[in-house]
Amino acid sequence: MINAATRAGIGLRILVALYLLLATPAARTWLEATMSGHMLVQIPLLAALGFIACRLLPEAWQETLLAAAGGPVPHVVVALFASTWWMLPRALDEALTHLPAEAAKFVSLPLLVGLPLALAWRRLGSIGRGFLWTNFISMLAVLGWLYIAAPVRVCNSYLVDQQESAGWLMVKLAVLLFAGWLASLFVGGHAECGASDITGAKAAGTLGRASPQNST
Amino acid sequence: MKAVARSVTVTALVTVLGTGAFWCGTDGFKAFTAETARRADILRTPRPLPAAILEDQDGRVFRLDDYRGRLLAVEFIYTRCTTICNSLGAAFKQIRDRVPADALGRDVALLSISFDPGHDDPANLKAYGTRHGADGEHWRIVRVRDADQLQALLGAFGIVVIADRFGGFEHNAAIHLVGRDGRLAEIADLDAPLRFADRLREAL
Amino acid sequence: MATYAYEHRPDHGAKAGVLAYLATSAAVLLLMMVFGLLMRLEQAQWISIGADRFYQLMTLHGAGMVGIAAIAGASVMWHFLRQYVDLSSRIFIANLVLFLAGVVMILASVLLGRFHGAWTFLFPLPGKSMGMWSADAAALFMGGLLVIGVGFLLLHLDVARAIVARYGNFARALGWPQLFGHDDGKAPPPTVVASAMVTIVNVIGLVVGASILTMMLVNLYVPGFDIDPLLAKGMIYFFGHVFINATIYMAVIAVYEILPRYTQRPWKSNKVFLASWTASTLMVLFIFPHHLLMDFAFPKWMLIMGHIIGYLNTVPILVVTGYGALMIVYRSGIRWDMASKLLFLSLFGWAAGAMPAFIDGTITVNYVMHNTLWVPGHFHTYLLLGMVTMVFGFMYYLGKPDHETDDRPIDRIAFWLFTSSVLGFTLSFLYSGKESVARRYAAHLPEWVPYDRIASVFAVLVIASALLFVGRFFARIGLARHDYQRAPLARAATA
Repeated sequence: MINAATRAGIGLRILVALYLLLATPAARTWLEATMSGHMLVQIPLLAALGFIACRLLPEAWQETLLAAAGGPVPHVVVALFASTWWMLPRALDEALTHLPAEAAKFVSLPLLVGLPLALAWRRLGSIGRGFLWTNFISMLAVLGWLYIAAPVRVCNSYLVDQQESAGWLMVKLAVLLFAGWLASLFVGGHAECGASDITGAKAAGTLGRASPQNST
Repeated sequence: MKAVARSVTVTALVTVLGTGAFWCGTDGFKAFTAETARRADILRTPRPLPAAILEDQDGRVFRLDDYRGRLLAVEFIYTRCTTICNSLGAAFKQIRDRVPADALGRDVALLSISFDPGHDDPANLKAYGTRHGADGEHWRIVRVRDADQLQALLGAFGIVVIADRFGGFEHNAAIHLVGRDGRLAEIADLDAPLRFADRLREAL
Repeated sequence: MATYAYEHRPDHGAKAGVLAYLATSAAVLLLMMVFGLLMRLEQAQWISIGADRFYQLMTLHGAGMVGIAAIAGASVMWHFLRQYVDLSSRIFIANLVLFLAGVVMILASVLLGRFHGAWTFLFPLPGKSMGMWSADAAALFMGGLLVIGVGFLLLHLDVARAIVARYGNFARALGWPQLFGHDDGKAPPPTVVASAMVTIVNVIGLVVGASILTMMLVNLYVPGFDIDPLLAKGMIYFFGHVFINATIYMAVIAVYEILPRYTQRPWKSNKVFLASWTASTLMVLFIFPHHLLMDFAFPKWMLIMGHIIGYLNTVPILVVTGYGALMIVYRSGIRWDMASKLLFLSLFGWAAGAMPAFIDGTITVNYVMHNTLWVPGHFHTYLLLGMVTMVFGFMYYLGKPDHETDDRPIDRIAFWLFTSSVLGFTLSFLYSGKESVARRYAAHLPEWVPYDRIASVFAVLVIASALLFVGRFFARIGLARHDYQRAPLARAATA
């Protein structure tokens, strides 16, 4: 138990160090120099830090937090709004020109995207996760297309060809993620029992069980 | 059941708050880019401009405030620009030609401001003016020599200039209207200069 | 060589959800058949509704038929797959609710908003109506499709979850250990293999479809966001073709499950069976360009791919299933009733319907045939005599009062009436295609009218027999919920 707690403590310290590293002017300037770096590296990294940090919290805290805010669905909705916000070209510009907006980005991505997603993820069940994944992937592809096809320069802070390359990166990433997700369905896992054991009674016995989604 | 009710309530609350945040943050789902936001904001509340010392194509030095009491059309350019600044120049010419001759100079003036003072000396400014048909009186081509003043001016107008890979710049291009009170009153698309000119005439 | 033995399992009645799916499908099917008849009557010049109405009916007919084919197919899959894996009833119902919401949106778009850009919503037509419908009407139509797509995505994700929970992963659900290794006879049953295949292809198809629908919705209101028309066409055809193909792969589960109960012989998931389903899982994804063969702007490699895979994909599942059905029935002493007859007929319809596509899949033929009624001839045979007939067989099976009951004479008559009138109806499409009758209603020559009149008469007979099938289903819907043996024992087994 102590061992697990220390491990979590060390983990959290590493995360804080990474977070502070990302917040240094040098790292910010470097990642924010290109639209792709800003949207596809810095922003996901910040959200991921929040996600992992949440996992390192004691289990009981996570449960309390989740229950306090009404289960997984509201958490997902919060994450949805917060992440969509930082996909707005206007928000990106704002973060680059106004320090408070930049600070808001550094606070909101871990706290309002990573953390709620991590809290909700385990309780979503595989349908909820699959639904989020497939929607995220198709929206990523559509967003990429929006950036490629935009008739105007959407960000005053970035060159127009950066917006196109960021768009293409998003499309490629979407294709890769989707292929990876599909492939993951084909490997791993273990059969519940001998695959030949297909008696109706067995299935009938499990039918009464609530689906994982109902657990809220 | 209580948990479900709570989930529904919080979800509804989050949705309302989130939608509200987006509504405010995008000016009612209209301004998704900083450029549209800038225009909507200025239309609502005309913005005061900082003081700036300008130098024109003939080396004459004057202040931006000298234009108070007149309507002033402003564009931002750099003279080496081979793309969008040419459109800006052409748009300005169309506007100038549409303003009644008697109002020109007396009640309306045009100003092309270079954000590249290091390169754009009066000779280059003059060449740019000649290329686009500026008369150098009612339509002057100027630069801001003081770097701080230039930054303040660009900031107030909301112009973001970034270097591209070919030694030039990319910048948001538009036509700006400064009112008689010296405040930035409107920003218009450069592809609709005639509409801008018509509104200018209405304001006379 | 693995051995397979028939293992009798108790016959489960249908859950209320399955019956709701079937009832929805049956009601919409009849309505859409009437719309189809109206279109034929218009071409036959027996009624006059005008081009706008014609295209509105065509849009509804297309969207409605694709929708109920998917809904009916899903009900067959869900009903039988439940025996093997733990499916969620709530998701199943949620899909139907979303489907109905989408249907309302589509109806409103067409009937109130006068949208008539065809169910294929081919870019840029929905956004370029020349004032015939508003952007809002087009958005409502595409929004309706999107809502329906979301429902099906949920359903398939639930199927995926259940299959993974039971079999570990999709490789095992498709029987790859047995296909690529030693066949120990423990491959998952055909129902699971088919459900796994449908889930894979439909999830991919739906994600692509949702993407292009969202892109077109954006483009509708902000035309500045350009879409490459070729990309749009490719994505739409990919989605549409996968989705409609999947309906028959779901419905065929009824054949795999019900025929063995009549003959007390197992449907084997042996190497050949598994290989055919695995091959089709891949091929279904690459076959759609065979609809684009006359579209010279497409990259050549795509057309050649469509040509070759179009040929290849006709073979595996169809031949394996047809051969499997013959093997199961041959000398089994099967006692034919409406359910078993319809299921057997459906395999003939599937095979017969695939043939015109096979011919049309040849590039040189395609140039002259594709824009004629030949293609509607193909998919009406395939769907009406194949897919819909499987569903009718399933309906008769669920409503059969007990295993000894004989069919009423009127049902027997309806069976032959249905078979012959569907053949007459689809052959008049195919013959019109052979005579180069254009698929576009705007160009319809007077000398083509006789074919339309013949087709109209057959269409009336098709509707009459379908009405009887559906009426019988509704009359017996109370029985469908109960658990009891429905299939009569084969004579070979009783002897």
